[in-house]
Amino acid sequence: MADLSSHAVSGGHPVDADKAPWRAKLVPWVFRAPLIFMVMFFAIPMAMTVVFSVFERTMFWMEPGFTLFSYENFFFSARLTNFLSSMKYSLISVVICFVLGFPIAVFVRKSIPQVAQHRVVLLFILPFMVSEIIRVFALRPVLQRNGLVNSTLMELGLIDEPITALLYSHTGVVIGEVLSFLPFIVFSGFLAMEAVPKYIFEVCDDLGVGPWRRFKDVILPLAAPGIFAGSVFIFVNGLGVALLPNILGGAGAVNAGLIATQAITALDFPLAMAVSAIMMATLLSLLWIGHKLFDLTKILTPLS
Amino acid sequence: MNDYDNIWLHRLKWAYLLLVVLTLMTPVIYVMYVSFNANGFGANEYVFTLEWYGLIFSDELLIGALGWTVILALVVTVVAVPMALLSAKYYKAADNKLFPIFLLLSPLFVPPDILGSALLVFFKNLNLVFIWLGDQIGTSLFDSWFRLSFLTATIGLIIYTIPYSFVVILITMGRYRTEQTEAARACGANGWRAFWDIEFPQIRAGVFSACAFTVILVFNEYTRTSLLKGGFDTFTTVLISQMLNTGMSPQSYAMSAMVSFVAIAVIGSIILFTMLRAESLGRIARAKAEPVMS
Amino acid sequence: MTYGTTDMTDNKAPAVEVRNLAKHYGDFVALKNVNVSIAAGEYFVLLGPSGGGKTTLLRTLGGFHKPTRGEILLHGRNVGHLPPDKRPTTMVFQAYALFPHMTVTQNVGYGLKVAGLSKARIAEKVDYALEQVGLTQFTHRKPHELSGGQQQRVQLARAIVLDRDILLLDEPLAALDAQLRKDMCLELKHLQEKVGITFIHVTHNQEEAMTVADRIALIANGDLVEYGRARDIYRAPQKSFTASFVGENNMLKGKVAQSNGASIVVDVAGAMLQVDKRDLDVSDGQEVTLSIRSECVSLDRANGSAAASDGLSMIGTYDESVYLGLTTSHLAHLPDGTEMVSRVIAGSDDTPPEAGAPVRLSWKPSDIRLHVE
Repeated sequence: MADLSSHAVSGGHPVDADKAPWRAKLVPWVFRAPLIFMVMFFAIPMAMTVVFSVFERTMFWMEPGFTLFSYENFFFSARLTNFLSSMKYSLISVVICFVLGFPIAVFVRKSIPQVAQHRVVLLFILPFMVSEIIRVFALRPVLQRNGLVNSTLMELGLIDEPITALLYSHTGVVIGEVLSFLPFIVFSGFLAMEAVPKYIFEVCDDLGVGPWRRFKDVILPLAAPGIFAGSVFIFVNGLGVALLPNILGGAGAVNAGLIATQAITALDFPLAMAVSAIMMATLLSLLWIGHKLFDLTKILTPLS
Repeated sequence: MNDYDNIWLHRLKWAYLLLVVLTLMTPVIYVMYVSFNANGFGANEYVFTLEWYGLIFSDELLIGALGWTVILALVVTVVAVPMALLSAKYYKAADNKLFPIFLLLSPLFVPPDILGSALLVFFKNLNLVFIWLGDQIGTSLFDSWFRLSFLTATIGLIIYTIPYSFVVILITMGRYRTEQTEAARACGANGWRAFWDIEFPQIRAGVFSACAFTVILVFNEYTRTSLLKGGFDTFTTVLISQMLNTGMSPQSYAMSAMVSFVAIAVIGSIILFTMLRAESLGRIARAKAEPVMS
Repeated sequence: MTYGTTDMTDNKAPAVEVRNLAKHYGDFVALKNVNVSIAAGEYFVLLGPSGGGKTTLLRTLGGFHKPTRGEILLHGRNVGHLPPDKRPTTMVFQAYALFPHMTVTQNVGYGLKVAGLSKARIAEKVDYALEQVGLTQFTHRKPHELSGGQQQRVQLARAIVLDRDILLLDEPLAALDAQLRKDMCLELKHLQEKVGITFIHVTHNQEEAMTVADRIALIANGDLVEYGRARDIYRAPQKSFTASFVGENNMLKGKVAQSNGASIVVDVAGAMLQVDKRDLDVSDGQEVTLSIRSECVSLDRANGSAAASDGLSMIGTYDESVYLGLTTSHLAHLPDGTEMVSRVIAGSDDTPPEAGAPVRLSWKPSDIRLHVE
């Protein structure tokens, strides 16, 4: 022992008390830097939309002032009707996504071995990884009059006339939204099901609780925060992704995102900002309501 | 799966799951199919060709755009992933977790057009403020800082991609036991050394996945990029503006298919790699002595 | 043998000296005001219930928590401001602390590699350390291929290879099964004797504490309740908490009836019991606690004439007996409902009294202790 302990390894050596105290002070700020960045270039710009929305519109830009003209322009025109109807169709998409997607999340959690679960969920990342816009554009040849769906159905003899309502219509937008956002309900449902321990299923079987009661009385209340977060995501994106109505929609299919980008193209920046502010208000109030109802911080438990 | 469950019902559920994945992929697969047809979409005859792909590579505009895309994707990845890593470390140690998580995840919920418009107007105003500031001091040094440019596009895309990287890294960090960092500290390693020698090798998969995600997201992104970029184009912006203006040409099918191939190849290989690794690790673990603690 | 003490430190100073140490987490007080001194080369155990603050104290010594108040001196040097890697301590954790991506050899050699030793020197020291903990096989295995006991041996080797002066052990055996824990306890004790450095060991298991410790400190509710030699803690606890936590003690609550003289009289459920005053400050009518270890209580059938008032016995009602293998516990209760246990070596074939029968519980004068709190 003696020869090996002839000199102590590290520890116990005196440290210079004054060795770069500025470095010690700097380190916490390195960890905060991303948050500062997010405040500067995300939180502040989003909050500033409210300020810019009341600026006066000029020919090519805007100037400081206070006018509610943009809001008037939004609320007392066809824009409001369009916005509200896009809300309706967005809600329909949320429901369809939930009905189609959530059972998958339950199935994966319940019936697939723990180790394989993540890999199965990864399958849903695959379509999500192809540019959303390309996927939406690619729906055109699929849903078109002479597209994949119609020609397949006609060849099978199920229909005689091509279905034209599939594209350039509200139906088209809903199909686009469902195909774009379905993976998200699977992801959020999968995370939400973390709150439902696997033994619950055994307890329910033991008590003779049927699948529907089990879903309504046990799974839904436990998974509610995650389901809600996923639904808000789909709803808000249905309102905000301009390309969906732009590419797939017909007359009257205009959502908030499209209003904003059209306003930008028309150089009506205050209007674009008003729409953004309205969207942010919608989003925040939805999240607030969700938080009051379900305590959304619960979703984060698996992350912390 | 339970011993008493109906095997056919189980298989039916699996079939449904795969059908959904397939449906989600159908448009992409169909585009790929059309892209190899010499006669393009809707033709009665299918003749295999690579002609349309050849056209892409002879288009200088597209090749230039491809170059910009690669640079943009690299810069965003190099900045955003370390930022996400720092944020995840910060989040783990933070007492108040609500504020950082809200700030880091909310970009997910802001639709692309809304985020793009808000940032566009913000940068334009910021640019005017900087020019005015410069005028006050008598310098034109600040004039172009926040003019729409590569920088503004980068900032917008960082905000867009950070939530994804953050979540991916956080999930991998969840499996890491902090006792190991403490053990390394007790062995005489300083904070950085403990991170680099002990923690990083264990969360490396997450960090690399985050990098792959970021590259793909930037490559695919249209709305935010097209609103915030200055005078340059990315592959996707060229493609989409072409399709918006003139509809889908045979060449645009080929371009869409190519972008999809790249994305699927990257993600597919990650999935395959993690599966194989998990498989082999599992096999090794099963082969060796059962540990008392795990 | 020099155990890595550096020039800066004072060899005569105790290995650890803690002064008025407090640790708060917001409103929660993990450590109230702890003072303790641990001599160099001592095997010192921090014993107490979970959540009592013993692990917080250990981790504060190791530099993983910053004290809210107070000082920590290691070999006379104030280290309160230093991070773990700058302290003369190293630590063995409960579990999960091996680096899973490194082999046993790499794990043990990690600290030496950080210190910048040459490869040959590292190999030499690692081999020696592994030999010390009896783990010369499996050196190329990864942690998940080792059993729990082997993993803890690797942790020990990784710690002692550094030749630090103080080894902190945070519930090192808690994750092991009972038999293995017993074996490892003895090995720990022998290892400490061999390497001669200060071991500070946290546990909630009193048998483990008694096996390894030179001295034991009891920690509960953020306070250092009492500390002393293992034997004294068991035989002659000062505080009623110690008596209730260590060994199996009968705790009797009563009022002082007569407080004069070296021996005082305490009224417990109507019985007048004599107990040594131990220079404690008591007055008539004061509420006090008495403790008697269960193996010191003998239980006999009460023969008709009840209430023999010799001051060293009580009359109770018999409940049942519990056979525990080596010993048998006889349970009875006093008129006020207090449970009493009398533990005897099993093997006598005497039939126990039937339930409800009156029994006499008696003890020797030296076995009963007075606690004032």
